[in-house]
Amino acid sequence: MPRTFSHITDSLIRHRGVLGAMIVGIDDGMIVVSTLQIGVNGNAFAALSASLYRKARRSAAAAGFGATGFLELAAEQGRLCAAGAEELVIIVVCEQRVNLGMLRVELLRSVEQLP
Amino acid sequence: MPADDIRAMSEVLAADPSNLVFLQLGEALRRRGELDVALRVALRGAERHPQLPDAHDLVARISSDRGELERAVAEWERVLALEPAHGGARKGLGFVCFQLGRLEDAAAHLGAALGADPSDSSLTAALDTVRAALQHRTDASERATIPVKRSALPADVGRPVPIATLRGLPPINEAPTEPGRATTGLPRHLHAPDADTGAVFDDLLEGQRSAALLLDADGLVLAGRYVSADGRDLAADIGAQLSGISDEASRAMRHLGLGAWKQIVFETEAASVAMAPSQEGVLLVAAARPIPLGFVRRVLDRALERARDWMDNA
Repeated sequence: MPRTFSHITDSLIRHRGVLGAMIVGIDDGMIVVSTLQIGVNGNAFAALSASLYRKARRSAAAAGFGATGFLELAAEQGRLCAAGAEELVIIVVCEQRVNLGMLRVELLRSVEQLP
Repeated sequence: MPADDIRAMSEVLAADPSNLVFLQLGEALRRRGELDVALRVALRGAERHPQLPDAHDLVARISSDRGELERAVAEWERVLALEPAHGGARKGLGFVCFQLGRLEDAAAHLGAALGADPSDSSLTAALDTVRAALQHRTDASERATIPVKRSALPADVGRPVPIATLRGLPPINEAPTEPGRATTGLPRHLHAPDADTGAVFDDLLEGQRSAALLLDADGLVLAGRYVSADGRDLAADIGAQLSGISDEASRAMRHLGLGAWKQIVFETEAASVAMAPSQEGVLLVAAARPIPLGFVRRVLDRALERARDWMDNA
């Protein structure tokens, strides 16, 4: 297993429409590694997205749906996508025009490399 | 079963594709959880031996394990057409009907299976469970997408079967259309003041394996239902648990400058869930995992229109 995961974020940022890719601690919202375009506030996205993912994971588990994998939030001016392992979550910030299917597949593939 | 045995059976089948060893091989693979390979073996076998009930029974069992209940039902019906007393098919249909919340049908199939094999204690236990669920069942109406032909039900069952359990509700692309009304428009019967609010989204859904709920800002259910396999409506519980996600999304959007959130979808082990703001509340669609995420998003869009119509008429 690689010691750093920068190859994951480097690969994700190459998708058209992706503005930033981060690997973040699910519990603390702290960035482990990130690849961001200029102007993207990584810390804010990391903290709030991790919090959203954590909430979705807990709520889904409480509702009896089991573990959460891929999550996408679509907003008026962009999207957040996330996929989590036990301790870490990969977060991608992107524009509306991103190829969501492709991104989802790569996120789910990448998350398998996380501890 | 040891891997060597599986390899040996594979070699026998490769040398003679019409050999009936595919039945054992497919079952062994199914038990090992290698469902894709097992299905390929079973489908090839069923294609070569279309009149062999056990071949279709194998396809059905593997399909059921894969969560492909439509195919499982179709294959077991084929088995019964070939061999009406086939206990495996009755048992399988009994379990699928139970999963779909169609308890009367489940009891009928399991009863017939038990009649054929009274020594099967798993059937006795299953039948007891179904009967207990039937006793506890409230007024929750049965819904189903996967139709089971009337002819597939045991002939000695003399009770009326609700139309919905036989025909199933129309899939989303076949939703009933009234002249001059969009397919997502509110069905006429739901305009009535005493309309069943639980049924508002029924015709948009993929039956028992999916559900739609309209929640208010406090997470309380306004319309829709979430019926479990034993017939209980879990809408209030599910709604309360999941509505908090929308609050978290709103909080995040306020700080991130992405504008208002329009939709959240997420996949879990058991379900794909999509939610969107609807007036002051949130609309939520959940579907069992074999149903693809894209379909769930599409249902959500249509359910949003329906919710808007319903709120306007409420």
